[in-house]
Amino acid sequence: MARKSAAFPVGLYGMLLFALSWLTLPMLFAPLERWLVGSACLLPRLASSWLGEPAKAESKAALQLISKMGVELQQRVQDQAFVGTGFFAQAAAAAEAAGAAASAHEQEAADALLMELAQSQQVLCTVRSVRRRGGGGAPSELLLEQTYLELVGCKRLVTKGSALVGFLLQPGQPGAARDSWHDPARIMLANHRYAPRLFAALELRDRERLRFVVRPASIADPAPLVVDLWDEPYRAARLRKGGEPVRTLALGENGVPTGLLLGRTLVWGYESESRDAPALPIGVFLEPAVAAEALSHVVLWRPLQPVEPPPGARQAMREGPTGRQARVRAQRVSATTFELPGVSHGRHLLVTPAAVPDGAAVVQDGLFLGSASGLRFGASLMTSFGTSQRPWSLLFLPRHPGAEPVELRARVEATSAPRDSERGLVRLRWQGPREGQSPVRGRGDLFTGSNGAFCPAGLWIGRASADDYESDLMHVELPGSRGPRHVEVFVAVEEDR
Amino acid sequence: MSRWFWWFLLAPQTYLAAGLAQDMGLPTFEIGAALCLYLGWFARRSALPWLLLGCAISRALVDEASLPVQILVLGIPVCVLLPLRTLFVAQRWLWQAAFAVLLAYGIPWLAGTFGRLFQEPSLGAQLHGWPVVWSAVFVPPLVWLLRHIPPFVGFTEPEPVFGGTRR
Repeated sequence: MARKSAAFPVGLYGMLLFALSWLTLPMLFAPLERWLVGSACLLPRLASSWLGEPAKAESKAALQLISKMGVELQQRVQDQAFVGTGFFAQAAAAAEAAGAAASAHEQEAADALLMELAQSQQVLCTVRSVRRRGGGGAPSELLLEQTYLELVGCKRLVTKGSALVGFLLQPGQPGAARDSWHDPARIMLANHRYAPRLFAALELRDRERLRFVVRPASIADPAPLVVDLWDEPYRAARLRKGGEPVRTLALGENGVPTGLLLGRTLVWGYESESRDAPALPIGVFLEPAVAAEALSHVVLWRPLQPVEPPPGARQAMREGPTGRQARVRAQRVSATTFELPGVSHGRHLLVTPAAVPDGAAVVQDGLFLGSASGLRFGASLMTSFGTSQRPWSLLFLPRHPGAEPVELRARVEATSAPRDSERGLVRLRWQGPREGQSPVRGRGDLFTGSNGAFCPAGLWIGRASADDYESDLMHVELPGSRGPRHVEVFVAVEEDR
Repeated sequence: MSRWFWWFLLAPQTYLAAGLAQDMGLPTFEIGAALCLYLGWFARRSALPWLLLGCAISRALVDEASLPVQILVLGIPVCVLLPLRTLFVAQRWLWQAAFAVLLAYGIPWLAGTFGRLFQEPSLGAQLHGWPVVWSAVFVPPLVWLLRHIPPFVGFTEPEPVFGGTRR
């Protein structure tokens, strides 16, 4: 007689439930994971001592080339960020098109705002990370490398080229109530819950303008922004086709000038049963001109005439950072990588005594190798760029001198693992570029964008070329080498002020 | 106690050992299928939670996703296989090969699903054709081997005897 066994193992189901709880509270259980997986790395770490001497850096010529490319990238990013403010011309065109439709008061307000910006200094800021889901389920906040104190006096307006990005928050305001002046500055995007309503206009085919108010959409909506109020609802009801550019109007007191590109329309509604009858639009949404996850740099505006800082900022300047406010910066420390068996996995053992934060970049003299996951017992795990499946913020620098760097959001689709001295080839599927940017064409170099506090922009990945047939595909050639290597990894260091 | 020590010392190296074999020329197959079959059909039920943890740690060494995702990716197939233990008394290799194929599809699918749900992408979520075929070939003998070598042998349930037949 077959023994009937209980097929309901409570312990096993309890372990699965524990794993689900772990996933909902990752920060709480992160130390447990570091201990468990770190202890499993002890044997490979012991075996690594038989793997030979780690290779040092690339040749001097290669190092100089990587360094030179990094400098060129930074220069071109600055040039394009500061030069691409074509919205001044757009604003003039918009003002002319408005003509008699705009009241004298509106025209005066628009001109005053543009005059203020024209007399301001542009400040290029680096994006550290994106966060907080907002309208449309898209990120609604940017965290900058610069602190609020370093940006004192800057206007709220944040732009990128001729597109509106969002608004600079201030400590104590809604959205940054708990921030201090020494914390990294935060920017709320247009789809943030506390973002102001924006006035915008859409140019129709008959060259008439349809004006409306835009507000942040809800998380479940199909796009980050939604049109709230129309000045001519009956004309708006005849909109069928989306994809039309929408530009801001300087009508409110939110400090947004006329002419900034806000996004493109997305008409949402019921499709008609017959091809002859028009569809029924229910709402009009806006896809932002700027993809937040792809952003590496933004532009803030500081008036040339100094502005009196707020009382909180003056106090913060006097007192300096204390305790929790001590600034943490990323610093490179030496480490050694060893390949783990199974080269197709692209996983490496990273040995360093420093505490490695999750997502830290691993570099070898400017060459980006991959990102690390910190563990215990002096070990971490690194996933090479070519095998990582996480989405990356990247910068593509075309070979053509003076061409604009292109910000992308990409994911590795397929890779051939590098063996011996052969180069690894990676296929990237990317999104972007943002509105107004040049499309990705031809050949160039690929760099990291902003992928967190410990994976800064500007690390060289490899040579890249756009695919000839698929417009959103790119081929990247990774410098390949096997065996242990001396590398550097970004770790957190407290700055003494 | 010593068997637990050897389990948590050696079991987490399982995926690395499979990777080493693949680097030496063995065809790529889904080692997770062998682990799930062992846990679901041969391991002691009372020890399953901690055995699963050891296997999940092993997968976390070679996969980018976090440890709890690995627990779910390997644990859910084990939960599905466990009730079938009472049905497949003889544990024929044909059944093992058939389920190895299903697991070779299912494990990457689960990895991709949980990766999308919890934003933890992993290379293990990619499905390739030939590893599925090789899983059907290599997993049954590998499961037999696991049942007879330490540390797995210490957690293998004694086989039932039915009318004098024993496999």
